[in-house]
Amino acid sequence: MPAQIDIKEVHWLLDIVQCIDVGVVVLDRQYRVEVWNAFMENHSGLGPDQVQGRSLFELFPDIDRPWLERKVESVVQLGTRAFSLWQQRPYLMRFKSYQPITGQADFMYQNVTLLPLAGQPVEHVCLVIYDMTAAAVAAQP
Amino acid sequence: MIPLLVCDDSNMARKQLIRALPAEWPVTLSQATNGEEALALIRQGQGQVMLLDLTMPVLDGYQTLAALRAEGLSSQVIVVSGDVQEEAVRRVRELGALAFIKKPADPEILRQTLIELGLFNPQGTPAAQAQAVALSDLKVSFRDALREVSNVAMGRAAALLAKVLGVFVQLPVPQVNIFEVSELHMTLLDAQRGERFSAICQGFIGEAIAGEALLLFHDSEVEDMARLLGWQPKNEAQTSEMLLDLASILIGACLAGIAEQLDLRFSQGHPQLLGQHASLDQIIQVNRQRWRKTLAVEISYSLEGHAIHFDLLLLFTEDSIKRLTAKIGYLME
Repeated sequence: MPAQIDIKEVHWLLDIVQCIDVGVVVLDRQYRVEVWNAFMENHSGLGPDQVQGRSLFELFPDIDRPWLERKVESVVQLGTRAFSLWQQRPYLMRFKSYQPITGQADFMYQNVTLLPLAGQPVEHVCLVIYDMTAAAVAAQP
Repeated sequence: MIPLLVCDDSNMARKQLIRALPAEWPVTLSQATNGEEALALIRQGQGQVMLLDLTMPVLDGYQTLAALRAEGLSSQVIVVSGDVQEEAVRRVRELGALAFIKKPADPEILRQTLIELGLFNPQGTPAAQAQAVALSDLKVSFRDALREVSNVAMGRAAALLAKVLGVFVQLPVPQVNIFEVSELHMTLLDAQRGERFSAICQGFIGEAIAGEALLLFHDSEVEDMARLLGWQPKNEAQTSEMLLDLASILIGACLAGIAEQLDLRFSQGHPQLLGQHASLDQIIQVNRQRWRKTLAVEISYSLEGHAIHFDLLLLFTEDSIKRLTAKIGYLME
């Protein structure tokens, strides 16, 4: 990315974050949602206005809270990335499979990358959620 | 003139450090590549002030400080190290070091430290031709440079590990070698034949410098590790996740340390669990058609007071060696 980004490019970047086929969520230290892209909106059925400022655990009570907290705390404390893989944990939040005809899984398998966002100390963590369903189905015996 | 001794096993590290000295500081400079050489020079009166590295072969920094004390030798020591664990700082101070500066030494911090310790008076007369001569004599090889870069990076990773596990991490000198890929298993871990491992690997690439980071866990030690972390893994998947989390911290911190020194950014792929409870032959299925040679950086961490070791390998592709050389070039000058 260029070092200097003009305002037009900021719009492009926002468009790209919106359209890209991965989930992007930014959380503050209280696990409140600050950014929620179109992928998240489309798969969860929850629009940005419904999630903005609300706790992720409130929105998705099924999330294994101690598990996610441990990952996020490590990202915040150490400033390093953390990962979750579908092989160990099939998903972070349960999204239904959206290919009713060809889909062979009931839900979306997910890989998740947790990134510390700039700041000292780290105040925000970004979750990037990848749809790994195709790989998971292909790996099934 | 103050007899100054710079002790570090890396030519590059000594060069960086000598460069960072205040130009007008009147010193006569001597150099040593390990603690034993340093002690010999101090006995001859050439080390009234010493800048001392910690991670060195033969006699490391801690042992050198202890030996100084045991022999009653007088030298004012400032430790300059990549091992930035809080416990490392505490220990060297307890052993008599006057200050601790993290590598690579920032000239301004070094200057301030010398002034505060009363070793350097900026109002003094300008002098010191010795440094320039020493600098032109120091030849830095690519391996030396990459070893030193890795040394600083692994020190940062160790500091995070120490924080997470609440332990002291013992750091050896990293190994840098170019291997034929076919030699990889044998050469790297010959001594550990018969053991079972679990391995996590993660691809990385930055400015077309690419490779894989491979972290090997000894199966016999995984339970102890879980205890240290305060986890009770209930099944295989949870054990894997624990290893994955530890690997992400070590690999992430190490790559970030290297990237920062080389002024680039690495993209990292998803980590992968390569194998569990497998022999190395089963884990490392090298793609021999595509890879012929690899540049390997090998770092072995061990935890003091525990029988726990991690082997971290950074395996760069053959194509990356040229780019890495170019990138590291300015550090070697």
